[in-house]
Amino acid sequence: MTELRLSGVSKRYGGTETSTTTDESESEAIALQNVDLTVRDGEFFTLVGPSGCGKTTTLRTIAGFEEPTTGTVTFDDDPMTGVPPEDRDVGVVFQSYALFPHLSVAENVGYGLTFRAPPAGLTVDERVSELLELVDLEGMGERDPAQLSGGQQQRVALARALAPAPELLLLDEPMSALDARLRESLRRQLSRIQSELEITTVYVTHDQAEALAISDRLAVMHDGEIEQIGRPKDVYREPASRFVAEFVGDNNVFDGRVVDHDGEHATVVVGESGSGSGIGTGTGTGTGSQTQRQKRAQTTFTIAGVPTDATHIAICVRPGALSRETAQNQLTVDIETTEFLGERVRVHGHWNGVPIVLRLAEPPSGETCSVGFEPAAAHVISSSND
Amino acid sequence: MSRSGDESRSQPPSQAASERDQTSNSDGECQNECDCESEHNHNHERTLPFPDSRSLTGLRHWLDSHALALLALATAAVLAVMLYLPTGVVLVNAIVEDGIPTLAPFVDVLTDSFYFGVLADIFADPLAIGEHLHALAGWLAAISISVGLEYRLPLPFVQFELPIPWVGVETPGVRQGLFGFTAYQAALSTIASVAIGLPAAYILANYEFYGRRTLRSLTILPFVLPGIMVAVGFYAMFGQSGTLNTILGGVGLGPFAFVESNPLAIVILAHAFYNAPLVARITVAAWESVDVRAVETARSLGASERRAFRDVVVPQLAPAVLTGALLTFIFTFMTFPIVLALGGLQLATVEVWIYDRIQRLDYTEAATLAVLETILSLGLTYAYLRYESAQTGLSQAASPPPKEALFPDLQTVLSPRRLAILGYGLGALVLFVGPLASLVVGSVTDGGGFTLRNYAFLLERQLEGESFQTQPWPAIRNSLLFGVATLAVAVPMGVVISVLTVRAGRSGTIIDTLAMLPLAVSGVVFGIGLLQGLVFGISLPGGWQFQVTGAVAIVVAHAVAAYPFVTRNVSPLLSNLDPAMVESARALGASRFRALLDVELPLVASGIVAGAAFAFAISIGEFSSTVILASGSESYTMPVAVERYLGRRSGPAIAMGTLLLCVTAASFVVIDRVGGRYEL
Repeated sequence: MTELRLSGVSKRYGGTETSTTTDESESEAIALQNVDLTVRDGEFFTLVGPSGCGKTTTLRTIAGFEEPTTGTVTFDDDPMTGVPPEDRDVGVVFQSYALFPHLSVAENVGYGLTFRAPPAGLTVDERVSELLELVDLEGMGERDPAQLSGGQQQRVALARALAPAPELLLLDEPMSALDARLRESLRRQLSRIQSELEITTVYVTHDQAEALAISDRLAVMHDGEIEQIGRPKDVYREPASRFVAEFVGDNNVFDGRVVDHDGEHATVVVGESGSGSGIGTGTGTGTGSQTQRQKRAQTTFTIAGVPTDATHIAICVRPGALSRETAQNQLTVDIETTEFLGERVRVHGHWNGVPIVLRLAEPPSGETCSVGFEPAAAHVISSSND
Repeated sequence: MSRSGDESRSQPPSQAASERDQTSNSDGECQNECDCESEHNHNHERTLPFPDSRSLTGLRHWLDSHALALLALATAAVLAVMLYLPTGVVLVNAIVEDGIPTLAPFVDVLTDSFYFGVLADIFADPLAIGEHLHALAGWLAAISISVGLEYRLPLPFVQFELPIPWVGVETPGVRQGLFGFTAYQAALSTIASVAIGLPAAYILANYEFYGRRTLRSLTILPFVLPGIMVAVGFYAMFGQSGTLNTILGGVGLGPFAFVESNPLAIVILAHAFYNAPLVARITVAAWESVDVRAVETARSLGASERRAFRDVVVPQLAPAVLTGALLTFIFTFMTFPIVLALGGLQLATVEVWIYDRIQRLDYTEAATLAVLETILSLGLTYAYLRYESAQTGLSQAASPPPKEALFPDLQTVLSPRRLAILGYGLGALVLFVGPLASLVVGSVTDGGGFTLRNYAFLLERQLEGESFQTQPWPAIRNSLLFGVATLAVAVPMGVVISVLTVRAGRSGTIIDTLAMLPLAVSGVVFGIGLLQGLVFGISLPGGWQFQVTGAVAIVVAHAVAAYPFVTRNVSPLLSNLDPAMVESARALGASRFRALLDVELPLVASGIVAGAAFAFAISIGEFSSTVILASGSESYTMPVAVERYLGRRSGPAIAMGTLLLCVTAASFVVIDRVGGRYEL
């Protein structure tokens, strides 16, 4: 199987072509900025990020539909520069599936075998039925793609991509056109197939929950750059940046000033507006809740794991870590909305101008709710010492 | 398995190493391929549905990966030699006199009031603004408006003449000149086409009735009918002894000399015959893409039905109507066979006058006029293309407006709206079916009685005619041969241009505009270019002569006129294809060209067939450049034969026109049958 490596890959669109018509800042659209990543042999790797973050461009660069402006893509140390997609031996599944409507399901699955021989000892027909069986579509070979449901079409597209036994499987938001329940079952099926075949897989999605659920490792992308690469639980627990903290899962982010550090715990003043010059200034209209907020604006938290030389830090606390039973690090949240999720309720509100998300067992009664968190439950996402 | 092994699967190991194009592969990794290759080959060659890859030699592999570029080069070469060279020759002829560049012919034409009427004075002395304004003011002051009742409609059977109120606008005469008149008749034709086309669009888009779909499809038909045949059909319908006079004579009216007393009106009607269906077709498409939910939203927000129509539907129809009007103006500005046959030199448009200059061997003046005409039509075409491309955002409506039954029961038939529709239908019948039916009827009647005299004449000419005389069979044979040859050239050209332009972004737009030049260069202009450039021959250094003559020149002229229609039919389908379709094929191992053959072309087959039908029909009906290129040669086609038979007696021409109609109709049945297989 194959190890995939991207080294210093950047992609710019437009460039000189448009620089005469638009001003300097827009003249060059940077799609990818110095992307480095390695996908290990047989790994299920996910690129996740909001739309426009460059994840699809990265995938298309790997497939050979785009050439990087700078940097290299290698498959098992073979540079792919200048190699057209048809010579890269990748299997691609698109969001739209892109099934050939003029060919039957079997002909679709068999199309790649025109150019690449089926694996040892199999005829094209045998390989096609093997693949249809793999995706639970036995006996559907003679149908037209249009006769199939969305989920079935998606599985045909997967079978078609896998039929020539490619080195790499590339999936570009393959499930975003399906409804939630179907997506979940297909996700499990995809996981099973991937681990069965042990094929190196790159999966692109904007859905962070999907990325956490399915990946061996994932890369969070933002504005053409990789923010963090890691295992799902590491990315979830220890986000490397404010963007990752806010993008992956619900989170509460606080900025604070370190006023004391005993080597284990730091005392952090939170709720100062701006860079800590005053309390609640400049927020304008003095409504009732505003004055209320200002009254209890400044709070100190006790936080573990803060670098000893840090003066300003940003921390995040997962909603699940904020509990009504915890006495430490108390904050009283003004409740705005309550969503019933079945086993839990999700509460959105504000504390001191900071948006807060809570995950509680019971919906709170009243307009406010006091919660607290353990010093070790906070994760420091950034720190500075000026 | 290793990367290198997989790569070489597309080639047998023994040949891959020796024949691989080293320069095109950045990685020279072919050493360790044999170990994994042997396990694939066995099944590989036995089971592939396509020609197996063992026969792929290095050359074929190279051809495969460069096929698209080679086709593009071939297309560019054909265009350069057959389109741009002739057009350039016309330009050179107009501005070079005895080897010296000069603008004198242009100045002569621009300041000649025969060509430019009152504008000639302005061109002659553009700085005398005060004088020109004074002239304009004097002219405006002389306009008088009056309302009179002097027009009376004589009613049959009762002794009463119905007075018709008539607003008279008396304007002192303006010398329009040749260009002015050409624009004037084009403007009138455009108004007539829109006026006749819009009711048809309204009916087709809003009512359901038996044969609606067929009728909608038929709106494309006039566009491909040979102009000369339509002109003859109008003669047979509206002429002194035409069908309409025969019918009117039956109720004691007439005969009226429609054509003879008012040739301009008949020419404009003939133009409307061509272009009203075009306007209707474009408008219906826009109408059917109006989202009924947008109308319902407007109604729910308080707009009345009429108001919702005005605020929601009309803004979506207006661009379509304008597109149709612009196209109509372009087409009728360059009109030729209709005017030549129905008006003659007394109604000469620029195009007819150019033709006349060529007949008199005055090539410089013809070329000068041709360049001026082309500049004008290029500007109009550019405006059209710009406008059209701005429209492409029009969405396909998920829910088009519902259609009402046209005649649900007997009572509604008598409602004013239904009566108006019936009346319009009758008028349309006279205008659209009349000429064609009269053509057929006229070919077998003679002053009211049945006769085969006209066909006997054709037969006699075929059997006993001298070789220099125009004979029917060679005309039919040539038309069909040229049609097939045109198909063979125009379809690949059109498809290649579509493929190159659809996803090429800005550079694609430029190529597209350059490739659409034939729409803006009239047949006559193109004909002179071919005549002077390729038929007379161009001297090359070394005593060589580059020359294309006779049938080849005609086929080239037809193909160049026809390929834009292939492109126009294929491009929209191609651009609607999911780009992931081609990318999927390529990721699965298909080269770009292979993906085109396997995926794109089958999916746009209906567009290709439609484009091919257009190409064939345009070849069959092409008159303007054919009449120039075929003069004095054996390569005349059916439309040229019709024109040559059009003498003092119209009978033989009508008979020949009927033959043309039959051959055109038969070809369409064949194309429909063959093309029907590809319908998706």
